[in-house]
Amino acid sequence: MNGKNNPKKSPIERRKFLQMLGTAAAGGSILLVAGGLASRINRAEAGLYWQIDPAKCTQCGRCETHCVLNVSAVKCIHANRVCGYCDLCGGYYRSNVKELNTAAENLLCPTGAIQRKFVEDPYFEYTIDESLCNGCAKCVKGCTSFGNGSLYLQIKRDLCLDCNECKIALVCPADAISRVPLDVAYKLKDE
Amino acid sequence: MKKILFTLTSLLLQLAAFAQNRFPKPDFESGYQYPDIQYAVPNESLWLVVDILLLVALMSFVSWAVIRKQTRKPIIWVSVISVAYFGFFRSGCVCSIGSIQNVALSLADSSYILPISVLLFFILPIAFAFLFGRVFCAGVCPFGALQELVNIKNYKLSKSLTSALSVIPWIYLIFAVLYAVTRSTFIICRFDPFIGIFRQGGDFGLIVFGVLLLITSIFTGRPFCRFLCPYGALLSLFSRVSIWKVKITKKQCINCELCHNACPVDAIKPPHENKVKENRLLGVKRLINYAVVLPVLVITGALLMRYASNDLSRAHKDVRLHDMVMLQEAAPQNSLSLELEAFYGQGRTVAELTEKVEKIQADYRLYSTIAGGFIGLVIGITLIGLSTKRTRKEYEIEHADCVACGKCFGYCPQNKLEIKTGTLTL
Ligand code: SF4
Ligand code: SF4
Ligand code: SF4
Ligand code: SF4
Repeated sequence: MNGKNNPKKSPIERRKFLQMLGTAAAGGSILLVAGGLASRINRAEAGLYWQIDPAKCTQCGRCETHCVLNVSAVKCIHANRVCGYCDLCGGYYRSNVKELNTAAENLLCPTGAIQRKFVEDPYFEYTIDESLCNGCAKCVKGCTSFGNGSLYLQIKRDLCLDCNECKIALVCPADAISRVPLDVAYKLKDE
Repeated sequence: MKKILFTLTSLLLQLAAFAQNRFPKPDFESGYQYPDIQYAVPNESLWLVVDILLLVALMSFVSWAVIRKQTRKPIIWVSVISVAYFGFFRSGCVCSIGSIQNVALSLADSSYILPISVLLFFILPIAFAFLFGRVFCAGVCPFGALQELVNIKNYKLSKSLTSALSVIPWIYLIFAVLYAVTRSTFIICRFDPFIGIFRQGGDFGLIVFGVLLLITSIFTGRPFCRFLCPYGALLSLFSRVSIWKVKITKKQCINCELCHNACPVDAIKPPHENKVKENRLLGVKRLINYAVVLPVLVITGALLMRYASNDLSRAHKDVRLHDMVMLQEAAPQNSLSLELEAFYGQGRTVAELTEKVEKIQADYRLYSTIAGGFIGLVIGITLIGLSTKRTRKEYEIEHADCVACGKCFGYCPQNKLEIKTGTLTL
């Protein structure tokens, strides 16, 4: 079985030997990587979810346009417990509004997604119709600048596709979007 | 001290931005109750379990079909299921191809949380490739399955073109890892050509690219798999040395060439006789040549990439922001871009950003150098591969390239004439 005595066989034998070496190396590396990573994983979650940090968001408007979905997975959320229930709502009316009526030219929301209901003098309740909201952040900007900041944007988990890399996070100027584990849940304002 | 003061002020600023109670909470007299808000909870975790189970089940099924049964029919069904489920229903995210980046990042940076499903998506197909070859590619990967399902004709590309193009997956893999470990961007996800088709939406340019690839794969097998897919490159390493291997036929090859034309990825190599017998001296000379050429290529690659590392680092958002801020500081402009508005609005300082960017660029210098070395290595090995030829007595599968699609089985006459060979010879 010596290579010198049997020159015809030697390349085959050598190849077999190299194959075996390769197999061993491959198997070893799989075990190594899997083992190394598995030791890190126990604290990690089954999934991670993209969420906006409302404290960082500057309401730039890119959330509306950069989501991979045709209608963005980002929606406006209203934290009622933070809201002042104002009549002159900074998120509902445009800043230059002359008369407080619901004519479209007075309203901020381009899709009419904000509904207003009279509660008692002088309070009004505002609700977002999520099916209409496109996440453009106009109302959020108004509310953050002139009101209590109770309107804010958030990525809705039931709509979001959980892209491995969120296309909005790539362009968010405020670095407000990051992936959070399940137990952090929604980054909400009213809790 | 300055730094502490600075963090304190920025903290205060943030707090102020968060709790703007310009208007007091109303005292309702009419007994108004705050509405209960229900936030939809994701049922993701359940689907993730289904994903993994299906992944393992389909891969086992394919392994059984190609290794034990040598038949292709089940693979067609697996392809259909995979395209429907992993592709259209689950919108192709997260896939094994993209998981390379998460794994690379978590290996480089232990603070990055790697979800267990992503690890499994990464490691299971590799483990199967180590055992049975690239059974994941056969039909479980929705991208491969989609290309396979539309494939009709199988025009062969020239050998030199094929080997030149097949360097691309490796380079793509190296850059994907480089951009992932520096936390810049996930290029595999960003430039994924098929995801737009599965989601029926998204970046228009990429959808066009995906459609072009699909049209190409009507005429020649799996262009994406062969000339782009970085995960395929990784799997080929393990498939090359796998424990069980796909065989065209369990019987003796009769060198009829039929299987050669059937293989969509050109993995079946014809018999070849080395005319010039290499003597010992020549062999040693060849080895010495390699020993010189390889290091030269590796070092050149490393140096070139190190030289380019500052330009490469522009892929990181913060580096681009830093450039913008520098421009603005040098020649103040009145109308600020959204990025600058956010930067100044959040009260971040130039010094803090510069410090961050310097760290990023240091990372880039290190990782680009390593990446450059690997690029040199890949090119070197490809060149060596082109210059050497193995002697083959019969048609053989190159297992690194074989995607275990099983198309050759049906073409081999030895697989058909099972019965009556005895009576025929009479
Ligand atoms: S992209 Fe960022 S800053 Fe702009 S609206 Fe979305 S979260 Fe806010
Ligand atoms: S203004 Fe924009 S973000 Fe606010 S509710 Fe309307 S669509 Fe949604
Ligand atoms: S992860 Fe994808 S689907 Fe979700 S918000 Fe970001 S871009 Fe949209
Ligand atoms: S080579 Fe890549 S795209 Fe093709 S089947 Fe394999 S993993 Fe999928």
